[in-house]
Amino acid sequence: MSPRTRPIPIITDDALTITGGAFSYGSTPALTEVNITVKPGEAMALIGPNGSGKSTLLKGVLGLIPLLEGSMGFGKSAESIGYLPQTEHIDPEFPVTLKQVVMMGRYRKMGLFSFPTSTDRAAVRKAIANVGLTNVANKRFGSLSGGQQQRGFLARALASEPGLLLLDEPFNGLDQPNRDALMQTLRQLKAAGVAIIVTTHDLELAREVCDTVLFVNGRQIAFGPKDDVLTLANLQEVFHEFQVEIDEHTVVVPGHEGH
Amino acid sequence: MNLLDSLTTAFALPFMGRALLVLIVLSVAAGVIGVFINLRGLEFLSDGLTHAVFPGLAAGFVFGGQGGVLIGALVAAAAATIVLTLMSNNRVTSDATTAIVLTAMFSIGVIIVSASPGRAGGLEQLLFGHLLTVTDSEAITTAVVAGVALVLVLLTFRRQVFRAFDPEGSAAAGYRRVSTELVLNVAIALVIVAASNAVGNLLVLAVLIVPGALSRLVTTKLGGLFAVAVGAAVFASWMGLALGFNISVVGGVDVPAGATVALSFVTLYAIALIVRVLRKGVNA
Ligand SMILES: Nc1ncnc2c1ncn2[C@@H]1O[C@H](COP(=O)(O)OP(=O)(O)OP(=O)(O)O)[C@@H](O)[C@H]1O
Ligand SMILES: [Mg+2]
Repeated sequence: MSPRTRPIPIITDDALTITGGAFSYGSTPALTEVNITVKPGEAMALIGPNGSGKSTLLKGVLGLIPLLEGSMGFGKSAESIGYLPQTEHIDPEFPVTLKQVVMMGRYRKMGLFSFPTSTDRAAVRKAIANVGLTNVANKRFGSLSGGQQQRGFLARALASEPGLLLLDEPFNGLDQPNRDALMQTLRQLKAAGVAIIVTTHDLELAREVCDTVLFVNGRQIAFGPKDDVLTLANLQEVFHEFQVEIDEHTVVVPGHEGH
Repeated sequence: MNLLDSLTTAFALPFMGRALLVLIVLSVAAGVIGVFINLRGLEFLSDGLTHAVFPGLAAGFVFGGQGGVLIGALVAAAAATIVLTLMSNNRVTSDATTAIVLTAMFSIGVIIVSASPGRAGGLEQLLFGHLLTVTDSEAITTAVVAGVALVLVLLTFRRQVFRAFDPEGSAAAGYRRVSTELVLNVAIALVIVAASNAVGNLLVLAVLIVPGALSRLVTTKLGGLFAVAVGAAVFASWMGLALGFNISVVGGVDVPAGATVALSFVTLYAIALIVRVLRKGVNA
């Protein structure tokens, strides 16, 4: 009995390829016409307004919701997928420490009867250090602040040493030093060959760490290298109900900075 | 024979040794599984399974005698587990409907036993068990059923912890949600079947739910929960059995030992609760 939920992967050289993809919760699709490729060492920014299907795409890639149409192919490196959900519903009284939560990221790598090895423990320690939480590693997870919990879940995703990393609004609720640290982490992961998909409302951030951009709004609006796709025309199509202001350096999408 | 003898040398008697052995196996299984019941908040489902198993016990008893109880209970438990697991996954019913259906099951069980005249005293035995008169073969089957439940949970231990803490995260990590839940529910059902045989269907819940709940009062360490739950269950079994022996064998009052065992579990829980309140205040 295989505990995997993902569909049988089509092996490709790219970390992830989706062709004509449509994803749904019930019978009506929440996101359609997805045609993307993410290569190892590349980061893709996934941008769209609230309810446009960003989280849906990540859940679809994970196999949490079904692929209604089209096909999905995974590279060999994407056998291990790390995931940072947008929101986590956890019991704040649940008796686990941060360290134990991050260790969950290693579970799939452990044998049925084996205890965590020194490799597992080292990976956990490193991931916790990476998100700057070493001093609270042995605290109960529920006693940490919201931002700390989010970084804890990021550490769990990192500890799984993923070939494909899916981050749903990872910069939300992070203070400036932690934003900078996360940017730095993402650059390091890319250099190590990890493929990354990151949803964000922050176009500046997309420009800074990402190589490609996918705009969605119920369907794919545009996909390609960031310089080709981050255009005023695309922004207006995606965020049509919003006024898009553009100046020399930044593109601001009103109503979305704080989300 | 005084109380101290009841706690020690009494267990040299074969029927007492057998009863203790059965309870120790049950305690280990129920302790570990009870922690997961607590962490997942499955007390209501456990209650439901207990009720649903009853008509199986009853039918097995009426048609197959003492030997038929286990088979009847297993059949009922299998059906109920699958139905309840699917129901909780698809949210097709409310807690109210579930409660109504399960109470109906329980009544059906009572009617089955009461309506079969050849089985006098059967109802009491099914409800309260017959701990002090279990046969060797009953002890063995009880231990095997509880042992299987324990093995199921130990084999899926990590994914059970992951699922209890973070359902979406565990599914994203590739653990199938329904199968993880089904394994735990089957294990719960097996403990209910095993414990129904020993302490009776009405008292199963004490054995199943008290150790896990008690451990949450005592520690916030994950590993500690399992140790405390198992330890408390074994200790409470020992005390309860000794008390039952003292009342019924020494005192000559006919009290089912299952009841004194259940009472012992609940008392230990009350003590843990009082100690905690005294130390930390009501809201801590
Ligand atoms: N669990 C669910 N069941 C049914 N429909 C859902 C579910 N989650 C999301 N949807 C629907 O799918 C669509 C896309 O939602 P999704 O969560 O992917 O948006 P998003 O782009 O991530 O938005 P946000 O910026 O608010 O995070 C929405 O119309 C939403 O109502
Ligand atoms: Mg979202």
